[in-house]
Amino acid sequence: MSKKTMTLNLTEAEMAVLEELCDKKDLSKTVLLRQALRLYQRVEERLEKGDKLFFEDEASKEKAEIMIL
Amino acid sequence: MIATTPSDVTPVWLTKRSIKETVDAELWHGIVDKNLADWEAEWIPDLQRRLKLLNLQKVERRFWPQSRYWDWRDKLREIERRLANLSFAIVAEDMTQAMMTIDLTKRARMPGHEGQHLVYIDFLEAAPWNRNDLAEEPAKFGGCGSILINAAIQQSILEGFKGRIGLHSLPQANSFYANACEMTDLGQDATYENLRYFELDPDSARSFIEKGKGE
Amino acid sequence: MTFDISKTWCRNAGAREDGLDIGAGVIAADPMFTHEGGADESPEASRLALGRFINLMRRDQGLSIEALADKADIEIGELLSLENNAAHLPDVRTLYQLSEVFGVSQEKLMGLSGLTHANDDDDDYVEEAVRYAAKSASVEVLTEDEHEILNGLISVLSENAKHK
Repeated sequence: MSKKTMTLNLTEAEMAVLEELCDKKDLSKTVLLRQALRLYQRVEERLEKGDKLFFEDEASKEKAEIMIL
Repeated sequence: MIATTPSDVTPVWLTKRSIKETVDAELWHGIVDKNLADWEAEWIPDLQRRLKLLNLQKVERRFWPQSRYWDWRDKLREIERRLANLSFAIVAEDMTQAMMTIDLTKRARMPGHEGQHLVYIDFLEAAPWNRNDLAEEPAKFGGCGSILINAAIQQSILEGFKGRIGLHSLPQANSFYANACEMTDLGQDATYENLRYFELDPDSARSFIEKGKGE
Repeated sequence: MTFDISKTWCRNAGAREDGLDIGAGVIAADPMFTHEGGADESPEASRLALGRFINLMRRDQGLSIEALADKADIEIGELLSLENNAAHLPDVRTLYQLSEVFGVSQEKLMGLSGLTHANDDDDDYVEEAVRYAAKSASVEVLTEDEHEILNGLISVLSENAKHK
């Protein structure tokens, strides 16, 4: 599959976060950003359907909504 | 709209059991309309024929093979535009022999690899005539499972996930994943129909695709 | 981006995969399949009788496990499990092949294995088979006694056997 190239401008803070995450997950910047894009698309898909996105506390089973349309 | 041509084709070889020889086949990167048409026109009727035989032989309902109700067309429609999913099919003698879909956003559970990215195999199925657990003759073509696992591993490497893969096995396939693929058995998953969950770590994945490569 | 999968690798993988089933995931959950296999729910005794019968017949014909597996065109692993593991649930096809090779009723082998429920009218054969099998103990060359036991089993399991 052919690939397209893009230049990405990030602030210092954003770059720092990107590098930290890459280090932590042992992924290259491209791989990590592709994952981010996949997740973003999935989340949008569900939100558009009317679903909600929650984090659940493992211990208390309490749910906290993290994205409001 | 389901695509009509796969994005890539990798040449592979299947073993035709009747002649004990390998035959040319293709690994299609992406399940397309032709594969779904084969599923509808050939897989389903053949499966129904074999189930009828099992019924006639009075084999108890609970021993009937799983995956009878899979709807591939529905599944493909769902994942068509999703970046998070990829699909594969094996075609030989102009007929779809096996299919697989994978998810790129799941994480590993194996001790020592928790939270790491992996390629998760959502669904994997062989055509009815390639199965051993259905009535009648033995499997027609062999090797589909291994080739698809190989593909999942190589995709995992391409994605930067180092070859890690995971899946929930159908009961009749536990032996294949445990023994032929040497995957780690992480036990039955109560949150997923009590199916057994297997994973492959980077080293074992590497050795699986290297094993017997160029002898 | 295509993959690198060699012909040799495919050939070896095909051999490794021989006789094994593949399959992963569930799209539509079938509520009846919420546990693994079904081995724990079938009577162990009749399966032991089945295993004993196969073992005796095989030795009587002077065949190793490998040779019988070859003759019946079934998996060695499957045959080993059948003879030695009371929890093992055989394939329908395996029983069909063995019934052909041994000249006994496939239906009755299926009844013994627990794959089918023996009919109420003629499930005596299960009891009788178990009783015969219980008499045989060792795994050495068939003794005269074992021969007699085997003959008893054969007559019980043959197609035309009448039931008391």
